Amino acid sequence: MTVYLEKLAEFSALLRREGLAVGLQETADACEILSCLDLGDRETVRAALQAVYAKSREEQAAFQRAFDGFFVSVERREALRRRHAAEAEELARRRAEAEQELQVNGQPMDLREDLQEVYIRMGGRSREQLRQLLEKTRGNLERSPRLYGNFIRSVFMRFLLEQQMVMEDAAAGCEESDPDLALLYRDISHFKDTDIPKAAALIAAISRQLDAELSRQRQGAAHSGKLDFKRTIRKGLETGGSFYRLSYRRKRRRKRRLVLLCDVSGSMLQFSEFALRFIKSMSEVSESSQTYLFSEEIHLVDPFVLQNMDSFREYVRSSGLYGRGTDLGTALDQLCRGRPAALGPSVTLLILSDTKTIDLPRAGRMLLEARQRAGETLWLNPIPERKWPYVRSIQTMQMLCRMVPCSTLDELARACRKMLK
Amino acid sequence: MDIPAFKAKLDAARYIYDDSLVTTLLVALRLGRPLLIEGAAGVGKTEIAKVMASALDRDLVRLQCYEGLDESKALYEWNYQKQLLSIQVQMNRQDPDALTKSLFSDDYLLPRPLLQSIRSEEPVVLLIDEIDKSDEEFEAFLLELLSEMQVTIPEVGVVRAKTIPFVVLTSNRTRPLSEALRRRCAYLYIQYPSVEKEVSIIRAKLPNVNEHLAVQAAQAIGRLRESDAILKKPSIAETLDWVSALEALGVSDLTPESVRQTLGFVLKSSEDLEAGEAVLAPSEAACSHSHGHSHEHCGRCAGTAGQA
Repeated sequence: MTVYLEKLAEFSALLRREGLAVGLQETADACEILSCLDLGDRETVRAALQAVYAKSREEQAAFQRAFDGFFVSVERREALRRRHAAEAEELARRRAEAEQELQVNGQPMDLREDLQEVYIRMGGRSREQLRQLLEKTRGNLERSPRLYGNFIRSVFMRFLLEQQMVMEDAAAGCEESDPDLALLYRDISHFKDTDIPKAAALIAAISRQLDAELSRQRQGAAHSGKLDFKRTIRKGLETGGSFYRLSYRRKRRRKRRLVLLCDVSGSMLQFSEFALRFIKSMSEVSESSQTYLFSEEIHLVDPFVLQNMDSFREYVRSSGLYGRGTDLGTALDQLCRGRPAALGPSVTLLILSDTKTIDLPRAGRMLLEARQRAGETLWLNPIPERKWPYVRSIQTMQMLCRMVPCSTLDELARACRKMLK
Repeated sequence: MDIPAFKAKLDAARYIYDDSLVTTLLVALRLGRPLLIEGAAGVGKTEIAKVMASALDRDLVRLQCYEGLDESKALYEWNYQKQLLSIQVQMNRQDPDALTKSLFSDDYLLPRPLLQSIRSEEPVVLLIDEIDKSDEEFEAFLLELLSEMQVTIPEVGVVRAKTIPFVVLTSNRTRPLSEALRRRCAYLYIQYPSVEKEVSIIRAKLPNVNEHLAVQAAQAIGRLRESDAILKKPSIAETLDWVSALEALGVSDLTPESVRQTLGFVLKSSEDLEAGEAVLAPSEAACSHSHGHSHEHCGRCAGTAGQA
């Protein structure tokens, strides 16, 4: 029983690493439920634990991956054992082969073990290319053996880094289990044409959430504090004329207006499909929204063209802004001064841009002014969050307004959920 | 209750299920946790609460959520008229404190669904339907009930549940629910049923319907749901309505004509109807069935046409 509890605790820890909010209560529930279920049936255990641990559809996908990795079926365990044995055999063979191939002056090359592993795992073509490179530069060995050694190590390190970058593609594991959900984790600049209908549906759903969150009423009290005489008297008649219960005037519900400012400059071209779909979805879900496109100047989008994606795409391309340089300062200046009615306390300004702009100080100043005029300002940035610390313009803009990553749809959806909290 | 016994009860309620659904329901029941069910509109979320009430032989108490729902509609309200009447009748009573105390007793309390469900002598199934339509304040208010199975009434104090209801919350995901609420529930996500499962549902709910028609209708509905052109996807209830309508019209084979006449039972807007007819329109290819006519006039092909 102790072993069994330990395993469950380990599984809970694994789920936490996968991003699920798993507490002691969930582990205790899992323990309780497993003690009264038929543990022989893997699928029953899976469904039971999923009900306990995963609390949303997105969490269910992460749970499935973790479960398959943790509770290995008998057949898979046997297949894994066979695969590991075969791999070990193959590795030994390739190691011997590598020692033969990587020789300097008849001696095995002085390489760190991890770099040796890199060579062993390389494909045949890559190995051939590397051998040719080594052969070509062999002359350097005579001139400077130390520099040559450093060069060889740098070649291997580069290959190692490339492999790591491939591993960073978070959608790799998800693609097999649920292709629909994998779209959530794929970089928005990597969407294929075939993904577009599904991605469009996801974008629409996220836009709905975002709109609901941005236009949500933040009411301190349920009423305005002013007495509603008519309703109080009418209610009082029910209780024999006694004003037993006072009625107050309801707070005026004013829906927030949404002003979307979308960057369509050259640096945003790779995200253009996402940006255009996002604009269209936002304009569909938010009745009182205005959309502006900007690159070197600003342009108000005719709501009529937003009704059809093809005509909208054509409209953007012919607007004269598409693919040009970015001048956020001018765009915001034109918005604040040229269209003073566009921003106001009941407006949420949503900026979709990668922050790359000329005249950053002016852009910052204008952003502050726009922030003061609008009730709320939110920046959606399609550049992955892990790269933010290396981009100066992002750091500057991040200090001036709330910035949310949207390099993947999952990030955007998570940002929406975070706003809700 | 173990899984086979629970399945037998669901069978008796003529509910079509899969194993993972049964396990999830049983887990929630065993742990005494509320069950949060999410999924698109019309996949049968509310039906689960009804079936659970039937399978567990309990009463169903339903609270339909909407924007502005507050505790006076969901939990309790004082019967003001009765209180005033009582004050006037007992105006000359010597002990005003006792009178005041008596005014906030059970006699003057109007229990609403949440209070009804925890004060019931027999355990009930409590359905909190479309929780995503209520305000965040109401969601937060529910937390005490869902985690502690008790509610606090300021004038009375804490009211603890006499019996533990099986709570089912449903959401169409029109807005994300709070993490706090999610954490207190077991979770189930329902998708539209597969064609095979939908045929089984038709068979279970409409036992007299023509088998061939049931398959054709389920296939056609599956195609409508898959199509991106249809904005409001048909629900299971609409499938059953459609099949009933076809049966009532004496249709035993789904033809383009019968589809045109009855598609209004499935699709409820002119745009969807137009798109739906296009989705279900037979292709021009010659019919592969050996009855010597073109695909267009072949009822047997209506269920499969257009898949290419």
